[in-house]
Amino acid sequence: MGSSADDVMMEIEACKPQGNGLVVGGLSPLSESLWKDKTNTDVVGDVSARLTWKDLTVMVTVSNGETQNVLEGLSGYAEPGSFTALMGPSGSGKSTLLDALSGRLAANAFLSGTILLNGRKAKLSFGTAAYVTQDDNLIGTLTVRETISYSARLRLPDRMPWSEKRTLVESTIVEMGLQDCANTVIGNWHLRGISGGEKRRVSIAVEILMRPRLLFLDEPTSGLDSASAFFVTQTLRGLSRDGRTVIASIHQPSSEVFELFDRLYLLSGGKTVYFGQASEAYEFFAHAGFPCPPLRNPSDHFLRCINSDFDKVKATLKGSMKLRFESNDDPLDKVTTLEAMRTLIDSFRTSQYYYSANEKIEEMSKVKGTVLDSGGSQASFFMQAFTLTKRSFVNMSRDFGYYWLRLVIYMVVTVCIGTIYLNVGTGYNSILARGACASFVFGFVTFMSIGGFPSFVEDMKVFQRERMNGHYGVTAFVISNTLSATPFLILITFISGTICYFMVRLHPGFEHYLFFVLCLYASVTVVESLMMAIASVVPNFLMGIIIGAGIQGIFMLVSGYFRLPNDIPKPFWRYPMSYISFHFWALQGQYQNDLKGLMFDNQTPDLPKISGEYILEYVFQIDVNRSKWIDLSVNLSMIIIYRIIFFIIIKINEDVTPWIRGYIARRRIKQKNANQNTTVTPFTLTQSPSLRNFVADRPSSSRK
Amino acid sequence: MEIEVASGGGGGGGASSSSSGGDIEKGLGRSNGGAGAYLVWEDLTALLPNFGHGPPKKLLHGLNGYAEPGRIMAVMGPSGSGKSTLLDSLAGRLSNNVVMSGNILLNGKKRRLDYGVVAYVTQEDVLLGTLTVRETLTYSAYLRLPTTMSREEVKGIIEGTIIEMGLQDCADRQIGNWQLRGISGGEKKRLSIALEILIRPRIMFLDEPTSGLDSAAAFFVIQAIKNVARDGRTVISSVHQPSSEVFALFDDLYLLSGGETVYFGEAKMAIKFFAEAGFPCPSRRNPSDHFLRCVNSDFDIVTATLKGSQRLREMQRAPDPLMNLAAADIKSVLVEKYKNSEYARKARSRIREISSIQGLDFVTIKGSQARWWKQLSTLTRRSFLNMSRDVGYYWSRIVIYIVVALCVGTLFYDVGTSYTAILARGACGGFVTGFMTFMSIGGFPSFIEEMKVFYRERRNGYYGVAVFILSNFLSSFPFLVAVSVATGTITYYMVKFRTEFSHYIFFCLNIFGSIAMVESVMMIVAALVPNFLMGIIAGAGVLGIMMMTAGFFRLLDDLPKIFWRYPISLIGYGAWALQGAYKNDMLGIVFDPLVPGDPKLTGEHVIKVLFKIPLDHSKWWDLFAVYALIVCYRFLFFIILKLKERAAPIFHSLYAKRTMHHIKKRSSFKRKPSITSKRHYNLHPLSSQEGLNSPIP
Repeated sequence: MGSSADDVMMEIEACKPQGNGLVVGGLSPLSESLWKDKTNTDVVGDVSARLTWKDLTVMVTVSNGETQNVLEGLSGYAEPGSFTALMGPSGSGKSTLLDALSGRLAANAFLSGTILLNGRKAKLSFGTAAYVTQDDNLIGTLTVRETISYSARLRLPDRMPWSEKRTLVESTIVEMGLQDCANTVIGNWHLRGISGGEKRRVSIAVEILMRPRLLFLDEPTSGLDSASAFFVTQTLRGLSRDGRTVIASIHQPSSEVFELFDRLYLLSGGKTVYFGQASEAYEFFAHAGFPCPPLRNPSDHFLRCINSDFDKVKATLKGSMKLRFESNDDPLDKVTTLEAMRTLIDSFRTSQYYYSANEKIEEMSKVKGTVLDSGGSQASFFMQAFTLTKRSFVNMSRDFGYYWLRLVIYMVVTVCIGTIYLNVGTGYNSILARGACASFVFGFVTFMSIGGFPSFVEDMKVFQRERMNGHYGVTAFVISNTLSATPFLILITFISGTICYFMVRLHPGFEHYLFFVLCLYASVTVVESLMMAIASVVPNFLMGIIIGAGIQGIFMLVSGYFRLPNDIPKPFWRYPMSYISFHFWALQGQYQNDLKGLMFDNQTPDLPKISGEYILEYVFQIDVNRSKWIDLSVNLSMIIIYRIIFFIIIKINEDVTPWIRGYIARRRIKQKNANQNTTVTPFTLTQSPSLRNFVADRPSSSRK
Repeated sequence: MEIEVASGGGGGGGASSSSSGGDIEKGLGRSNGGAGAYLVWEDLTALLPNFGHGPPKKLLHGLNGYAEPGRIMAVMGPSGSGKSTLLDSLAGRLSNNVVMSGNILLNGKKRRLDYGVVAYVTQEDVLLGTLTVRETLTYSAYLRLPTTMSREEVKGIIEGTIIEMGLQDCADRQIGNWQLRGISGGEKKRLSIALEILIRPRIMFLDEPTSGLDSAAAFFVIQAIKNVARDGRTVISSVHQPSSEVFALFDDLYLLSGGETVYFGEAKMAIKFFAEAGFPCPSRRNPSDHFLRCVNSDFDIVTATLKGSQRLREMQRAPDPLMNLAAADIKSVLVEKYKNSEYARKARSRIREISSIQGLDFVTIKGSQARWWKQLSTLTRRSFLNMSRDVGYYWSRIVIYIVVALCVGTLFYDVGTSYTAILARGACGGFVTGFMTFMSIGGFPSFIEEMKVFYRERRNGYYGVAVFILSNFLSSFPFLVAVSVATGTITYYMVKFRTEFSHYIFFCLNIFGSIAMVESVMMIVAALVPNFLMGIIAGAGVLGIMMMTAGFFRLLDDLPKIFWRYPISLIGYGAWALQGAYKNDMLGIVFDPLVPGDPKLTGEHVIKVLFKIPLDHSKWWDLFAVYALIVCYRFLFFIILKLKERAAPIFHSLYAKRTMHHIKKRSSFKRKPSITSKRHYNLHPLSSQEGLNSPIP
């Protein structure tokens, strides 16, 4: 690194989340380590991850173009075999630091400073490091063992024999202490499953399956009771003892949990308050003038000192005229936490901890280690697609709300329809009745597919988590989802179609029956694909249902039942809309299928009978020259089109949206700078003088 | 200042109410005779009967204890230890499937702890997200404070409460819901407490008030509660894992494990007790963490599992003496030690002492002291404000309705009187009264939120069921009118049904009736179905059946008589609304015939022959039938809510009798390991969950 400031690379890096993490092919050093791990030899090899970060500043743009520094000049390191805890009050930047280190910053956040992995600048994108998020998005119907072994099959190389994969899965289960609940389902909204702490450990188990050297965890203990939190932390510590580098943000550790930390990174307001051995923090605070009172959890004390919310609390309590604090020997009652924070930050800057940490950073950044390969999936595309299909199939067959509930509803609805139109016949009235029946079946029955929407949303959540970690590609997901749903949709539509067909006694003949059922299948699948596409755009369950219902309502309106095809206004409704509507095609096909070849009574018996063809052409205004099979194939091809749209939407969400956000944010900054006519780089703005001097003094040319 | 005197006598500590606090008490006119509440419980046992073949599960094992005014008691214990059960049984809120025995004495008398005497702050903050903090308090005050109080007095109480709970800074901010970012979790919790202390209850129960809050917010909440206690109130709160600062604020501690008392006494003395029992708290540890660590048998499982996963080397290195002893053993040692300790002896003598205090009696305050018309107007105003601020309740629906109305309008634009127009007019009528009203389902989530608030307030006895239903109807009335007029006007004039104004009026009234009807159906569904997703599915199913029997998809005449025609199509609003719409639309106009040159078809003929609708009653009778159905459905809703309230206690007593019978037959209980309760995992109430994106009930 050059000593002059302009040499410091100021990267406005939109941290783009990228690459599809699909690594097919030869074994990476990572998977070599994986083999080594199995035989338990040489755990701390040269595949360890040494992470250092220096002068890390993260700036975010707020809507009006203002920028705000969330992190200011942080430096630190994480060594293999150690467990580093990031602590701080809420809003102190813990999660931002974690995101910055793992390369998951939002697109409107800008990062400057250097992050080195094994002495090299590495973009920690999906997969290089494992990242365990705060919420456990797991498939609720699978057991713990199934969850882990499906994940193993999704990501481990194909050439690895299944018996070894199984050993790996079993060892992971043991490692995470999940033996007791290995055969319990995870649980969802209607299924009671494993506890919160166990869920969290399953989430971790899935991520450590590939034996990553670097592990990030966002608040792994939040929402857990003390025993589970202790268990999770203890396992994390165990993982780090195997030579991994573990970094976790932790909100309010209990005393037992705090004792398990190796290294503590204490943040407040985006600044370092303390970085060093967790056990030495106690002395540091005492030295700085804020000794921890006896019988108090040190971490509670640290957070109490630097949490500026306490100032507000005290001020408000004073304001409420209830100032009867019992006499308190707490030194913090005399100073505000803001002052305490300033004192602490200053005393840290001059402390030995600070110097030794910096020395260590320099030392570590000089050592060039191995380039860690992406830890994404190493399974082939077919393996991924196959495993996903299987997993998704198992999930669908076990989740009551996914298809079984719908099957019940469909049967109820079709029995209702069947009794209402029971044995419809060929009377004069049955002409309209047959039309209404078809329109009701295709309209209302497909509408009920909305019922599966919550399950889609759950599926999408799991997909997003796994996708972020590079478990598999979008294509594999879309294909597997389509394939696994097919048997269920066929089952549902055949059962309900059969009930309806034989109760109403539609046009006799096997070919007509088959057409009716296939048409129903195509319509239901189109709706399903449409809802999937909606689920990928709309974040929220309720909005999805409303939008889905709206779109279907419009499709139904132009289907040719409510208004005859020729009467539909041409410009908008007839021309694009009715042709886009799958109801339109389904009705066109089904009317032909049903009416063609039948003779209906006229209004009075003495009048001649009316032929089905005449009705089709003049009453329902249907193009009789087009074969019904063409109508069916249009609907079938719509399935594919919607699936492709679904695929494209996911891709856009992944690639284009973050880019646009980053672009807008950069534009805003530029505009802001132009307006102000000052060209202060965020670096000089945020850097505190002492740190800069210190860095400049060091004879460091090793970086870069 | 009588309260202060009374509480001082009860050992309430140096409580000295500020002048404003005194004003509030006086303002309430309840300070005379107001005395501290001494709560004593003896031999409290709670059982969870197992209706399979297994033995009942014992949740609490003969607990003894007391709570005094001016002090704040923490009920602590690992998850599943019975904290919440103890709290619920003291507050008289045990769930229906738990059977309780033992004595609970309030000021020496056995009595039911009713609404108003005790305040109970639940873990979940059920609040209307669109109101500001001050509004929430104001409406609540008007709902419950006596009608005789002047506006200034009420205002004084509200402002006093806001200051007491430290809510000044956020007093004019909205609480926030899934689409609106509002006040923080700590502020919400303090607001929930503020609502309960508005009518100055003597005893207050709080169920895990700090769960899900960060340390500063938790500290603030407990500090605020402590202030409440210092005014001479009795406060009992369960806490899950208090931080060091929070723990230091509690006066008394009731430590439970597996339903047994591990320690009961002054919080400060607990450290001494543990040291005497041989488990001293290490100096760098939060005492409460240490206590829980000692009695939490989950740690045994953790240790066992860790040992199993070859992490033994770690464990042996640990300097923790506790690692060598199983928590279950520690617990039984502690329980034994406590039974014979002087703390237990002191507690027993104190219980006897308090039980003998007889004289202190206080006026039972009923849940609400406001008159019903006052409640009605307050509720109506509140509900109206909520509806007008919540975008999802009516505004989004108005927009959707206008969009759909425009779609329908363009599709059927200037429908005319040609032959095909007959079917088109029919379809248009069917679509408007059928499908469009269907979309009223969109307001279901907001309604569910309002129902939750209703249930909470009803439990606390704020107001009656009838008042709620009436106020809901009144407040939604303007919105329903707006929706139906907007839709009606757009479709009517775009489609050009008729030229007469009276037909337009009928059209709008018909839409209004249909929409109000769908709302009533959804209300009933909301009362019967606990879960949001099930509600939407059930609602859609019911409306689908109503639509199917309306006479549009199958002519009324052709409907199978037995089930579909006779009860169903008559109770469903669709048939009436559609008949009215047809008559309104077609009577009196003539259509072109199918074959040019034939005589023109009259509307009467079309309705009679084509749609097979009898013309023996006028369209206004059809409209009347729809409105009559609305009244019936609302009444049904009322009955359902009432039944739910009334039936529950009856079932409960039956249940209790049966369990007691079972217990008598069995000589002993077999203890089963307690299932860990899931209560504290829920850090965020559903109402604040981002975007309702999960169908969790």
